[in-house]
Amino acid sequence: MAVSESDILRSEVRWAMIVGVAVAVIFAAVIYTGIELHVNPPSNIETIDPKALHLSNEFTESNLGTRVEPEGRITTRIVATQFAFDPPCVVVPANEPVTLRLTTPDVIHGILVTGTNVNTMIVPGYVAQVHTVFTKTGDLLMPCHEYCGLGHSQMWATVRVVPRESFRPDAEGRVACD
Amino acid sequence: MSVESEAEDRPWQVRASVIVVAIVVVAALLGFVVLPVVQGRSAGVDAFSAICRALGLQAGSPAVRQPVSATRAEPVSLVAWTEEVIARLHNPNEENGSDLAANICASCHGADGVSPDPAFPHMAGQSAFAIYKQLHDFKNGARGNEIMASVVEQLDDEQMADIAAHFAYFTKGALDPTTPVTNDPAIVRLVERGITARGLPACASCHGAHAGGPIETPTLAGQRHEYLAAQLRAFAKGERRNDIYHRMRDIATKLTDSEIEELAAYYAGIGLYQRIK
Repeated sequence: MAVSESDILRSEVRWAMIVGVAVAVIFAAVIYTGIELHVNPPSNIETIDPKALHLSNEFTESNLGTRVEPEGRITTRIVATQFAFDPPCVVVPANEPVTLRLTTPDVIHGILVTGTNVNTMIVPGYVAQVHTVFTKTGDLLMPCHEYCGLGHSQMWATVRVVPRESFRPDAEGRVACD
Repeated sequence: MSVESEAEDRPWQVRASVIVVAIVVVAALLGFVVLPVVQGRSAGVDAFSAICRALGLQAGSPAVRQPVSATRAEPVSLVAWTEEVIARLHNPNEENGSDLAANICASCHGADGVSPDPAFPHMAGQSAFAIYKQLHDFKNGARGNEIMASVVEQLDDEQMADIAAHFAYFTKGALDPTTPVTNDPAIVRLVERGITARGLPACASCHGAHAGGPIETPTLAGQRHEYLAAQLRAFAKGERRNDIYHRMRDIATKLTDSEIEELAAYYAGIGLYQRIK
């Protein structure tokens, strides 16, 4: 049975339409996540020496976790290291703008916070920064989502979103789990 | 080939080109104009700046004022793995290292780095980076131990590097998988696989040979049982805190006392020391 030129052309047009629909779906997904879910690429380029991270002022152990800064902004600082997050649990208030600042002394890590728009890579030498508002209260899982070594699958932390009235900073403005 | 069929798909050459160009134009508008402008509004960025930032013309400029931190550093260890330190550990003064080890370390840790007393750790085959960091931490008080603090008091950084490299020269205890060292499958699982639900990475993900993890990770194979258990307990209680970013304190606090004992027994039972020469 011979296939005519017009049969081939019709088949090609059908496949082209399928490709067109796939492209349209991808565009729609990008627009939806970008505008409705507020997912956007990082806008902050900030370098830090990974060799001396533990000697730095900002990412010293005692400064990690959530702190209400003197000017009232809420900042959560987390260090991702093979194979744990320090601190392993952070507290943030619901319905308030929160700035997450993350960095690593060793290899490339990444995080997402389940059910939120927080999703970023953590690259040695850079500070990854995410501004967000947590709306759901409860313990949210924050796994490492960038393969970082043999212990990668055991690397996760908890983001505890609490109602504003349960968010009680201490004298220094710090709030920690337990 | 007939003349009719050529005429049949000719219009599609033009139509397909138009469609592809249209898709590229729409994608560029979305990526460089629509999304940046809409998203920039919530960050307080005007439309023109938003487009410039999307095009990479204002790269590095923060969209929102950065939080500043006035906190002063309180490092748990002063060791930083700079190129100089690493180079010194790779190219030590061997004669200096063996002299210092014989005069200072041998009485407790053994002339070959195999300690005669269960309370003192073996040094033979230990990683040079691990020994260097601990010596440095003893000296600076990051790790508290009166005996070691007084021993390392007079040593400078280069002497510590030479000693560390000297002991690292001995071969490591090798794990022979055919030798059963524990009958408890839960401990083998903890060492080799970790426990995800408890957030416990496998011990071997850092302490295994060539496993990765921080450069200062010590070799545990063949180490003294008493020493390993004592260190895990010290990490768990927070008495020892020179593990940068809580790496071991977080893990040790999650371990039960029997797990600590069994893990110490597991690692103490691995391998024998052999001299290279």
